[in-house]
Amino acid sequence: MSRSVVVVGAGPAGIEATAEACRRNARVTLIDEAARAGGQVYRQSHPALTGPEFADGGELARKSVLLRTFRDVERNIEYRPDTVAYALFPDRQLHVSHGSVSEVLQPDAVVLATGVREVAIPFPGWTTPGVMFAGGAQAILKSQRVLPGRNAVVAGCGPLPFVVAAQLLRAGGSVKALANLHPLTGMLTYPAALWHGRDIILEGLRYALTVRRAGTPRLSGYVPVHALGGDRLTGVVLARVDPEGRVVGGSERAIACDLLAVNYGFTANSELAAMAGARMHFDAVGGWVPECDEFGRTSVGDVFVAGDGAGLRGALVAEAEGRIVGAAAANPGETDRLHRELAEPLDRRRRYLSFQRAVRAALHVPPALWGLATDETVVCRCENVSVRDIRTAFASGHGTPNAVKRNIRAGMGWCGGRTCLPAIAALGQLHAGIPPGPMMTPRPMARPVTFAALAAQKRAVGR
Amino acid sequence: MKGTTLEFQFLFEGRWIPAREGQSVAAALIAAGERCLRIDEAGLPKGAVCGIGFCWECRCSIDGIADLRACMTPARPDMIVRRQRGLDPCPDRSS
Repeated sequence: MSRSVVVVGAGPAGIEATAEACRRNARVTLIDEAARAGGQVYRQSHPALTGPEFADGGELARKSVLLRTFRDVERNIEYRPDTVAYALFPDRQLHVSHGSVSEVLQPDAVVLATGVREVAIPFPGWTTPGVMFAGGAQAILKSQRVLPGRNAVVAGCGPLPFVVAAQLLRAGGSVKALANLHPLTGMLTYPAALWHGRDIILEGLRYALTVRRAGTPRLSGYVPVHALGGDRLTGVVLARVDPEGRVVGGSERAIACDLLAVNYGFTANSELAAMAGARMHFDAVGGWVPECDEFGRTSVGDVFVAGDGAGLRGALVAEAEGRIVGAAAANPGETDRLHRELAEPLDRRRRYLSFQRAVRAALHVPPALWGLATDETVVCRCENVSVRDIRTAFASGHGTPNAVKRNIRAGMGWCGGRTCLPAIAALGQLHAGIPPGPMMTPRPMARPVTFAALAAQKRAVGR
Repeated sequence: MKGTTLEFQFLFEGRWIPAREGQSVAAALIAAGERCLRIDEAGLPKGAVCGIGFCWECRCSIDGIADLRACMTPARPDMIVRRQRGLDPCPDRSS
């Protein structure tokens, strides 16, 4: 009987893993939280929401190839959109829910292709309505075809703020300033890496041209230090920071805006892997990720990981890796054969990984930047836990984010710590010298699930 | 950004908000200039933040059901969307 494989996440890694496992005659179930496949980067609009595209042609071409792969494989798999995977227990017991029904699946192999979410560095005023993650603002524009703000300031580090600023401009918005912590020209110190990523760099240059033509003020080395406004954003104070991440006094400048789109990189959605008991490690770029080998095998038998959820490397790596991991999930223990058959995606992943080294440098966050938040600044937005509360907890002997969570509820609210966990760990390091250490223990539910869905649980009989 | 799709309205805090078929509640509200979608337990105004459903900051009461994410809930004609306030998450149920 053929192997059963459940893939979690229908982004580039999940779709490629599904297609490859399917080619190898596995029975594949693809679980996805969204209504339509594509993931975050290749997000699809509702079919009724037609309109112009603001993404680069290169990205749109890759998206159409990936979605064609998905459509070709869709009829041969069990595809479950609008479905959340909220727990993964020993022996690959994967708990999923859809509407008001939940179900326990127990396949031969689980592939976690759960991607990443954005990281924000808290600063005074960052809870003001109108302050958004840059990728969140982009999602409103890309999939909803709504301009998330008429007068925007875009800030942060890495390539995303650049892309978002250009897309806002192409959609007819006005961008009052584009503030980047590091100049992207830092990437030029990695010539070999740039060669491997030349297609992506061309896309970047076209976005840069859009920003340049619009005459958008570029502020290199500046970050948002204060959001202004009450029940809506009216402006933002930007200030220059030194290489250690400390604000340079007197460099502050206020800019009126109704949207601040900010991104300081990404952190892995690795709760399910950690819940399953996989050995995890912390990477300053990309967050807590499960340890895995070249085929995505974690320390837990037949639990695999692919794409950004295995470490931040971008969509191109994720596509190649999806094929590699999908093959290993369908044909486990056949290492020599896999090496032979996967020569192309293994080589493609190696080339794009080398490009990612250049991007990593642009995502470096100097530790002192986490000190932008003052004592009163709310860090855990769900439970209204301030910097003072967190600092006091660490100072009084709570040695890990877990201990802080248990005592002052930081990370215990609706979002399950997904928004504030990186900040809590970084504040422990900044104020108490405590290294990030183990991840805050993810408990079920990895996503909020209704009691009705838990009560109506279907359990797979046998396999 | 106009199309030939179905257009309709829903109510937010007594104001009719135009929306298009396929749009989320959050997107329609943002397009209509609404930024504050909730008043939290500490009295802080909150709006949409992550745009993709993980932060839960944009949760609203919709047709009497509390804590639905505006960014993940498709807008429907004549739905009634309310701003949740503090520990009274469902204004319609209590009134």
